[in-house]
Amino acid sequence: MTDPIFIDALGPNGSYRAHNRLTVPDVAGNPLVELSFVPRLFVTRAMSALRKAETLPTEQRLAAMRAAGELFATGVVDGMSAADYQYTVSRMSGTPLPIVQRAVRAIARSAAGSYDSAQKARPVGAVNDWRDPKAREGTAVWIRRGDVFAVHAAGNHPGVHSLWLEALALGFRVAVRPSRREPLTPYRLISALRASGFGDDQIVLLPTDYAEADEILRQADLSMVYGGQDVIDKYAADTTVLPNGPGRSKILVTADSDWRDHIDMIVDSISHEGGTACVNTTAVFVEGDPAPLAEAIAARLSAIPSLPPEDEKAVLTAYSMPAARKIESYLQAKAAGTRAHLGGDGVVDELPDGSAVLRPAVHELDDPFAEQANVELAFPCVWVAPWTREAGPAVFHDTLVLTAVTRDEKLLDDLLADPTIKNLYIGDHPTYWMTPGVPHDAYLGEFLMRTKAVIRD
Amino acid sequence: MSEKILDLPLDARPDPDEFVRAAMEWHFSPETGSAYWLERAKTLGFDPRKDVKSVEDLSLFPNIVNELRDVRVEDLIPRGYGADADVVGVYESGGTTGAPKRVIILRDWWQRIMAWMNAGMDAAGFPENVNWLVVMPSGPHMAGKMSEQHATDRGGIRFTVDMDPRWVKKLVAAGKAEEAEAYAEHLVEQAGFVLRTQDVGVIITTPPLLERISRHDDLVELIDEKVKGIVWGGAHMDADTRYLYRTEVFPGVKLRGTYGSTMILGGSNERLDLTDDDACIFDPPAPWITFRVIDPDTGRTVDHGERGQVVMNHVTKNMLLPNNLERDLATRVEPPAGLAGDSVADVTPVARFDDETVIEGVY
Repeated sequence: MTDPIFIDALGPNGSYRAHNRLTVPDVAGNPLVELSFVPRLFVTRAMSALRKAETLPTEQRLAAMRAAGELFATGVVDGMSAADYQYTVSRMSGTPLPIVQRAVRAIARSAAGSYDSAQKARPVGAVNDWRDPKAREGTAVWIRRGDVFAVHAAGNHPGVHSLWLEALALGFRVAVRPSRREPLTPYRLISALRASGFGDDQIVLLPTDYAEADEILRQADLSMVYGGQDVIDKYAADTTVLPNGPGRSKILVTADSDWRDHIDMIVDSISHEGGTACVNTTAVFVEGDPAPLAEAIAARLSAIPSLPPEDEKAVLTAYSMPAARKIESYLQAKAAGTRAHLGGDGVVDELPDGSAVLRPAVHELDDPFAEQANVELAFPCVWVAPWTREAGPAVFHDTLVLTAVTRDEKLLDDLLADPTIKNLYIGDHPTYWMTPGVPHDAYLGEFLMRTKAVIRD
Repeated sequence: MSEKILDLPLDARPDPDEFVRAAMEWHFSPETGSAYWLERAKTLGFDPRKDVKSVEDLSLFPNIVNELRDVRVEDLIPRGYGADADVVGVYESGGTTGAPKRVIILRDWWQRIMAWMNAGMDAAGFPENVNWLVVMPSGPHMAGKMSEQHATDRGGIRFTVDMDPRWVKKLVAAGKAEEAEAYAEHLVEQAGFVLRTQDVGVIITTPPLLERISRHDDLVELIDEKVKGIVWGGAHMDADTRYLYRTEVFPGVKLRGTYGSTMILGGSNERLDLTDDDACIFDPPAPWITFRVIDPDTGRTVDHGERGQVVMNHVTKNMLLPNNLERDLATRVEPPAGLAGDSVADVTPVARFDDETVIEGVY
């Protein structure tokens, strides 16, 4: 029995250890973290402090972010070394250690580069400051749509915390409500930002129970939330909330191309990042018989070892046994009537500590419009379906990333034109491909900023 | 003979079981009992005058509070009061679950519970001869009447704001959060008019409204400048919120909680001399009002320090409302020495969100 790690709220008057705390266990069910839950009054006071606070001047802000990213990735923050932090995250969230390590580096890169990548979203007619010489002839200036930005963060992958850094870079004061599944990453990142020059009233961490969570959004100018379809529906009409919903990413291989030339990319797209990211492939469509492709994917995925998440070679995300069983039975209910190539007898594989990994599942569908193709589960779980010319682009509605392996330019035009397909990768590019400056689900800047006409003497 | 024990002031310490037996005599004798209880006794399956001998035995009674939605209030008045019982008023439950439940309050009980609550105010160092701002449910709700009486008894003028909690609950249940917000802001605005222009020494309000008032820096400033004490009740306040008020928001203002219910025709007082780290503990005036903290699945009293659901008993000449399972969870705490029943700490509503595991999707 080791001492618990306390994750306090980081409020406008410093850190606060609440009486009301949640014990967050590791994947084996052992108590690991004591997470403070703050009450509504704390939320409203913190949000009000953010509103009254100043924004750090741009140069100072970006320097502080760069330093914080370094400190977060490599330093000792609140008494915890980088290695301890990474190990703890993998034990708490079940995310494989190599994935945590990659995410940490990506967060540090975002901290250093967010401002520049955010600039890609600035309209070509806009400048950043009224002092720009263009203002003398009249120009657009790119301005924030508000001052206070809030995030209801997700805990599926540490990398989700690289996105809101863009809001911070653009000068918003930011409130983060951590996920109860993995609150350590935002705690460490915000602690590092504070240690590097941000004021306690410029960035806050507000862990709350569900009842108080909406209050954070209500008092922010703009916010971003993560969740399932219910969350998307809840905020559909709210122009101040940007929901990050299901990914349902897909791959299409048409008859003019041979899937055998792309099997590495396909398998990687399914299992990269442990299969828990919204950019992991949920379904693969092939023009022709899907069975040989499903068989080939199954053969490759079955070679992945079952390892505890803190192992340096771990690939699969670990879950508590009850959580793993719940996902497995959900899969089995959904998979009824489909043809299993892998995982048909169950996907739960118990680890020595009593936790479990979910081993890959490959199921073949017989209809391009089968509803299973949109059933996205947080492990390497893929549906392989036939695609036909008659089915056309319609099967790809509501897809975060579509990789299309095809030479059919007319089809590509149609896929590009569909606004519900958020990203289109053409050819041998995995669905998880991302790079700074290229949008993930449109530029965040499109949501955070607007233009204002300025002319001056 | 035994009737006298029922007329004692609330700081007396009658033997609790003897007290309960006297109350059974009163409520179930054909000469003194109410029409309601005399009729209801026929279907109880036991004889309260013989079988209910102690505070514990009150748990023999069924929970009858739902019947108070339909009973004619005259039938609730014990015949022992005679034809011209001195009625203070009829008060209704909040109406969270359907039609409201009604109780009738008679003068003798009212005077004794108010005297006890005023003594509690004195002990907590609340000033006399200052004006009160009451932002509590008005209309048929007991809280409004009680605050009015407090202000009068303590020599102050009372300012009020109209408040209908049932409408708010309806709005929330219908998913009209925006309208509920607007209503709450409307109440705060009215409180602000009084705070800006009048001398207010004590505020009595609910925790959600106090939290809303605190969002307005100008009102916080006015309160810190003018107000000596804040009484909260009618909803729950957790230890963290209380700590923030005491240390950051209203550091110079006395903050005092009450925990009561229309179904006990009164309330309990917050225990004094606790540190900021202690949970908020409420001690009821036993044996007139007693609490029991039970495991709702087994009905058994939980151990001290354990959490359970709160059962309330009201046993006075005025009314008998035994064994009422409230929709509150609390930690069971030892009562002050010599008192029957339980004290309660960290009261929260029963209905809480469970940690649901969302399956589909990656978040």
